Amino acid sequence: MEVTMDPLFLAWSYLRRRKLQQCSDICSKILQDSPYDQAAWSLKTRALTEMVYVDEVEVDQEGIAEMMLDESSIAQVARPGTSLRLPGTSQGGGPTPAVRPMTQSGRPITGFVRPNTQSGRPGTMEQAIKTPRTASTARPVTSASGRFIRLGTASMLTNPDGPFINLSRLNLAKYSKKPNMSRTLFEFIFHHENDVKNALDLAAQATEHAQFKDWWWKVQLGKCYYRLGLYREAEKQFRSALNHQEVVDTFLYLAKVYQRLDQPITALNLFKQGLDHFPGEVTLLTGIARIHEEMNNISSATEYYKDVLKQDNTHVEAIACIGSNHFYTDQPEIALRFYRRLLQMGVYNCQLYNNLGLCCFYAQQYDMTLSSFERALTLANNDEEQADVWYNIGHVGVGIGDLTLAYQCFKLALAFNNDHAEAYNNLAVLELRKGRIEQSKAFLQTAASLAPHMYEPHFNLSILSEKIGDLQSSYTAAQKSEDAFPEHVDTQQLLKQLRQHFAVL
Amino acid sequence: MLALPCYACRHLGDTMPEVKSIFREVLPKQGQLSMEDVPTMVLCKPKLLPLKSVTLEKLEKMHMEAQEAVKQQELAMKEQPQ
Repeated sequence: MEVTMDPLFLAWSYLRRRKLQQCSDICSKILQDSPYDQAAWSLKTRALTEMVYVDEVEVDQEGIAEMMLDESSIAQVARPGTSLRLPGTSQGGGPTPAVRPMTQSGRPITGFVRPNTQSGRPGTMEQAIKTPRTASTARPVTSASGRFIRLGTASMLTNPDGPFINLSRLNLAKYSKKPNMSRTLFEFIFHHENDVKNALDLAAQATEHAQFKDWWWKVQLGKCYYRLGLYREAEKQFRSALNHQEVVDTFLYLAKVYQRLDQPITALNLFKQGLDHFPGEVTLLTGIARIHEEMNNISSATEYYKDVLKQDNTHVEAIACIGSNHFYTDQPEIALRFYRRLLQMGVYNCQLYNNLGLCCFYAQQYDMTLSSFERALTLANNDEEQADVWYNIGHVGVGIGDLTLAYQCFKLALAFNNDHAEAYNNLAVLELRKGRIEQSKAFLQTAASLAPHMYEPHFNLSILSEKIGDLQSSYTAAQKSEDAFPEHVDTQQLLKQLRQHFAVL
Repeated sequence: MLALPCYACRHLGDTMPEVKSIFREVLPKQGQLSMEDVPTMVLCKPKLLPLKSVTLEKLEKMHMEAQEAVKQQELAMKEQPQ
């Protein structure tokens, strides 16, 4: 005779082994037999939540509306060193755009990308609308209509019997009084259904039931307010939660609020306050490093990332950021060691092999270069990654003087990603070497329109126009180049020359 | 055009004094050495690709799966009336 396990216990075991779908299936069966089984109900909500759970500290997506119609900013032009929104204000003496490429928003590229560093903050409305078309991911109009709604509707669609819990029929007041069920229910509503308003209702009633003494509910209220864009209310809740109990997560949430309010200095102070209570806490140190990096203060960011590595020597973000910093400060062999460390730790993806290939090439380890790039190509998940790898192989071609290879690589990069501005620019340079002026000019103009934040296409266009005698366009292009990179000496010299020409006329 | 001193020849001369070099060393004694700095086109720099955080990877994966699910659903809906 077969001995069967108690289904509820089995479901619980599945949950712990993260076999969430099986857990949810068993719970559904139990609930069919006895619809009022609270344990099974609660377990199912937990399983469904775990399926779509993402760390709320990391999730941050700013829509166009939040960015452009910002009510919380005090001054239009912030003082240097006090704002995250002025990418140009560098105090740390980090690498200039002449050695370190820029992202779409005009920040130097970093070694690590998180949901909220994806595209930064564009300066003008025009740029904001334009950015999604060239970036690999589209920016939503508002954060409320972003990814979360789409995920939520998808999860409902896939369920043939309709949603598991019908929120509109739920008596929130009843559940808020049951502390053993209200928490799982809240997480379900917040993460799985993405219904922030109902989640807020539940949290408000529950915190009232707990006589405003439970820090957990206050943090949840803060999370809801944050999602709704009510940052000052969120700040109050988090502060109040910190008074009850100091938890690392609360510090992180509160710092996130300050970052959204564009108060990096307050966020830094908060992190330091957190470090007094939790010395050496890695997430807090990482937070400090990220802020320094976003304020373009690369050298102190690196210092903090090194502190992170002293506490946790397998921290991928810290290793990647220090590695990329070494690469762009002309130490590819040290960068290579950092990336090799990542490889030893088991990171295995297209980006890592691409970086290894580049580091090998510039550290003169030619035997490994092409094989790394080959691996990167086989591991590429989408066309954008493929394009970036081909673009970098093109650089190897330029480096060894094989211009035919370089030309073909840049062409391939464009075949995979038609918006690859850097590839257009480099192709233009190669075309000019072959003497095809018109073709070169066309490529440069395309590159300049695709990526107005880069100085290279403007500068090249300026030189080209000057050579063919079109001084007026040369001057306008040089001015754009100066806007993108004010410290560029060659641009300034060119402008000076042109001004002299015009004065003589 | 400036003729540069031929280091290779001089080196040869040091070790084998009996062989007469056919190249004559030219060292300009007067005049200025000048070089014109011509602005050249610049290439965009090689791009290290940033690694993705676990959260971002999970979000992207979930997003892909959700889109797939919706697509399948729509396909099924289309096929049903026929």
